[in-house]
Amino acid sequence: MSEHDQTEAKDDTERSATHVGRRAVLGLAGLGAVGIAFGAKVDNAIGGALTSVSNKLGGLGALVPGADNFRIYTVTGSIPTISPETYRLKVDGLVEHSLELSIDDLRSMPRTKLVHYFQCVTGWRVPSVHWEGVKLSVILEAAGVKSSATAVSFFSGDGVYTESLTMGQAHLPDVLVADRMIGDDVTAEHGGPVRLYVAPMYGYKSIKWLDRIQVSNQVITGYWEQYGYPINAWIGGQA
Amino acid sequence: MSSEPAAPAGTRTRASTAAGTAAASTSADPGSPAARVATTPTGAKRLSQVSVQRFDRTERVVHWTTAILMLELLVTGAILYLPSIALRVGHRALVENIHVYSGLALLLPLVIGVLGPWRAHLVADLRRFDRWTRADWDWFHVKQKRSHLPAGKFNGGQKAEASFLGGSMVVMLVTGVLMRFAPSSWITWQQGATLVHDVGFLTVGVAVIGHIYMAMSRPEQLKSIFTGFIDRKWAVRNNPAWMAEVETEVADKP
Repeated sequence: MSEHDQTEAKDDTERSATHVGRRAVLGLAGLGAVGIAFGAKVDNAIGGALTSVSNKLGGLGALVPGADNFRIYTVTGSIPTISPETYRLKVDGLVEHSLELSIDDLRSMPRTKLVHYFQCVTGWRVPSVHWEGVKLSVILEAAGVKSSATAVSFFSGDGVYTESLTMGQAHLPDVLVADRMIGDDVTAEHGGPVRLYVAPMYGYKSIKWLDRIQVSNQVITGYWEQYGYPINAWIGGQA
Repeated sequence: MSSEPAAPAGTRTRASTAAGTAAASTSADPGSPAARVATTPTGAKRLSQVSVQRFDRTERVVHWTTAILMLELLVTGAILYLPSIALRVGHRALVENIHVYSGLALLLPLVIGVLGPWRAHLVADLRRFDRWTRADWDWFHVKQKRSHLPAGKFNGGQKAEASFLGGSMVVMLVTGVLMRFAPSSWITWQQGATLVHDVGFLTVGVAVIGHIYMAMSRPEQLKSIFTGFIDRKWAVRNNPAWMAEVETEVADKP
């Protein structure tokens, strides 16, 4: 039997049937492309509604895609538990007076409130987060930054995570040493009792479990920055 | 891509393999199938009636390397995605790197499988996934009578699953690369990619669980992805169009 005859004989078989599989694959790829192009708009439009759905689902709520929930990142094996009563924020390095600030000290300093989104570098964002604390610039002023200083380094109570800002970035008005967020004291998951919040930069700049602020003359390469993320982490690559 | 009919696959029967093994190894365990072929004059013929090749070595290697990568991606993905698990496991940089680099590798087995000289069976089966006959569409309509459908080597459900997972793997790869490697000015697309990747995690998770469930509930089929061979009677009953094709190929051979 020739190949032609064989094809004729099998007219109603797989050999001649419609190409559905490859259309399905291409269709899915097209859907994915649409999702990449317009997903942010959809997410921003219905994220709030999805969040209320997500919250009703309890533990499974985190599975809801697009809900405006924080994803909790820790780079060590467990999250540090730090007692707010004994907590002290150390400020040292190129300063006139080293400081050790308790929560009460922070609460007695000039306070700043911000409502601003939290944007992760991998693409998820939580809109309209309430932040409250002391501007980093106020703390730096209290310690008295020496004229030779050009940078500020941050160290986490997890013993591993580090971050840094240039002196100019550190003086931006929307960079907070936050002890309250989402209407409550900062929880351990979110980096409590005290974390940094760098509004104009990606979330990895907002170091959690902030333990020590060191004024120096060198911008250090932070934890994620060693894995290739930019040191100047402006959201959307601005400035 | 050429639209010529694919090279016929699935024509090799187990008997030739088994007989070859027995001839090469005279000290074979007398209880093993190979030994039985060697000691029974009509054994070889009978064994060829028993089973037929469903997957060759390339297909099994591609399946299992992809399966292992896929399961590992789902586990590491769950750790990255779900705060309750993320908190318990921690070590985000390590988990992220494992996830990202095994994600980049996910399609490699399939790509290597279809590019090498070992590709014939795999490509033939990919073409089967592509082509949908009447019976494949009917698979979704006549649930209680699926066994009467003249299914080919794969039924409609299996074809749908294959296309879904194939397309999803591409989508997950592209969105994952955007999430991890895109320049920061692409932030809007990254947010979209994250949403797509999250939805993909859920749907691929469901599809993989469904795949494992179906495999576990059909032991004869499950066995064939380990051994490569499937019981001939089972195949005649469940994949009549495929078996008709195999018989024709065998008859066509001089």
